[in-house]
Amino acid sequence: MKEIYTVWKKELLDNLRDRRTLLTAVLMPIVLMPVILIGTFKLQEYTIKRAEEKVITIAVDSKQSAPTLISYLESQDKLQLSEVPPDIFESKIDDGSLNIYLGIPETFESDFSAEKPVEIKVYHKSSNVDSSSASQRVMVMLQVFNQQSAAQRLGTKGIPPEALMSIIPTPEDTATTQERGGFFIGFLLPMFLVIFAITGGMYIAIDVSAGEKERKTLEALLFVPVSRFKLVMGKYLAVATTSTVTIILSLGSLYTAFKAFPPSGLLGDEVVIDLSIGAIGIMLLVGIILAIMFAGMLLSVAIFAKSYKEAQNYISPFYLVAIFPIAIVNSIPDFKPTEPLFIVPGVNAVFVVKELLLGVFDVTHILITIGSLLFFAVTAIVIATKIYSKEGILFRD
Amino acid sequence: MLVVKNLTKRFGDIVAVDSISFEAHEGEIFGLLGPNGAGKTTTIRVIATVLEATGGTAEVAGFDIRKNPEDVRRNIGVLTADIGLYDRFTARENLRYFGELYGLGGEKLEKRIDELIHVLDMGRFADRRAGKFSTGMKQKVAIARSIVHDPKVIIFDEPTAGLDVLASQTVVRFMKNAREMGKLVVLSTHNMHDAEKLSDHVAILHRSKLVTTGSVSEVLQRAGAANLEDAFIKIVGDDEAKSTERARELEQLAKAGKKK
Repeated sequence: MKEIYTVWKKELLDNLRDRRTLLTAVLMPIVLMPVILIGTFKLQEYTIKRAEEKVITIAVDSKQSAPTLISYLESQDKLQLSEVPPDIFESKIDDGSLNIYLGIPETFESDFSAEKPVEIKVYHKSSNVDSSSASQRVMVMLQVFNQQSAAQRLGTKGIPPEALMSIIPTPEDTATTQERGGFFIGFLLPMFLVIFAITGGMYIAIDVSAGEKERKTLEALLFVPVSRFKLVMGKYLAVATTSTVTIILSLGSLYTAFKAFPPSGLLGDEVVIDLSIGAIGIMLLVGIILAIMFAGMLLSVAIFAKSYKEAQNYISPFYLVAIFPIAIVNSIPDFKPTEPLFIVPGVNAVFVVKELLLGVFDVTHILITIGSLLFFAVTAIVIATKIYSKEGILFRD
Repeated sequence: MLVVKNLTKRFGDIVAVDSISFEAHEGEIFGLLGPNGAGKTTTIRVIATVLEATGGTAEVAGFDIRKNPEDVRRNIGVLTADIGLYDRFTARENLRYFGELYGLGGEKLEKRIDELIHVLDMGRFADRRAGKFSTGMKQKVAIARSIVHDPKVIIFDEPTAGLDVLASQTVVRFMKNAREMGKLVVLSTHNMHDAEKLSDHVAILHRSKLVTTGSVSEVLQRAGAANLEDAFIKIVGDDEAKSTERARELEQLAKAGKKK
């Protein structure tokens, strides 16, 4: 045990003095990720707000042809109305000087007075963001005009406008604030958990294995009267410690950041992240076991390499293979995982964390996930130890 | 102190060490000589139990390399051509790490490190990080690292390669002192001049085989040469001629077989 401790202590101290490890394992999870995440949300909020406040430039052929509709439109906020000949409006929409062009028939006023339905064409360009969002706002305005005129017409006939309404659909959300918050960050947090579980231990895993070969210190280490298993265990625990610290720091800083700067949800309501101590505990546990498992896998992969560069070449595809299924299941909306899926390492952690964020405590899912991750962690260590005993891999030049 | 018996090491079809046997004793410098690729480093690695022997065995300080590999490693100190250090550690920290892995600790280890720093003249840079050390400085730390546990058998593989005259002198002086202290020093080198000056006994390897062994004077007498360099060329030359002849014979036989 003493030898394992000696190797563990040395590898940690050695890597604490390495700027690359500090950057990927400590600085990135603490500072960069919350800044990027919160920054992205704030930017999204700002963009939506700006689009809503933007003045729509709208044009018609002649204001005289439809005075009733024109006076209604001119009474609207953030709308600028002008006259543009019909043959040039498309080029004006293309160059951005115009968002919407209304195609109003010359007979509008007479048809409107005769209570005949009049077709109004709302010309917009769906490939242009400003024009497309303006068209949605203009459509709403025209629907309101429609309702107002209909109410007026019914009024003159002595019929109350409510006669047109048989039902009043009112949406009521049964999701709690925690569930809404959980759903919102459920897209991001599990993904980042897996990314940090890998990146946190990546550099130290390379350093303690391929780095030892590149620095030509490996042979001197193999001369010491310590079993290969103990050497690998010491190195493995150092990688696992670093990944674990990264997971704790990343979860902690993300949680703090979301609490301090709550971003708006998709419907504009504030996202509330309110997790119980139990949920946070299980999430941390799953995150830590995930980090421990990836530590073993990273070490097994990096031991094959004889240099930093080669190790990075091996780890990049490994990273993609690990992340790819997670990215896919994470992007399928409303994906309901079956129990066997909780055996798949990495993917299972994503599902469990998603469940916890929604307030679901499924003991079977949690136990299968922890069992699976532990199994793969032990397998990875056994493989790493076996590789460390292979002469060909250790001494290939 | 070191008994090598029919030691063989194969890597697939390649025979790196072919059934070699020799003995070396405490209180002597034993030269393991041969050109590059002769099998010296592989022999050292097998003796140090880093590689597993394919055939035969060896004993180090009474411990068999197959049965007691960890006891062998405890009694042997090896300096190979790879003198890499942990760059982010100071020279002292490098030594402390290996000392702890050899089972030392506390005041005893610190005293041993101070002693090595003094003997190998490393005082100026002992507490500086190894990343910017010159080859000579690195070599001294690597030597200290290989003997931090005060082993009975010391194996040095090309210990003066890349060193300047002063640094080489420190290493040579150290080897002589170790011999005086009753250690067995195995000097693996292709530098015949150094080997002749320092060695009491030698073993010459060529093409994975042991071609001769004995005291320096015995080898000189046997080869009819004035110095070890001439003796080496003569012995290796004879061996080379025999190898070429054998290859030609095999080729003839193969051709004869085809004709039938």
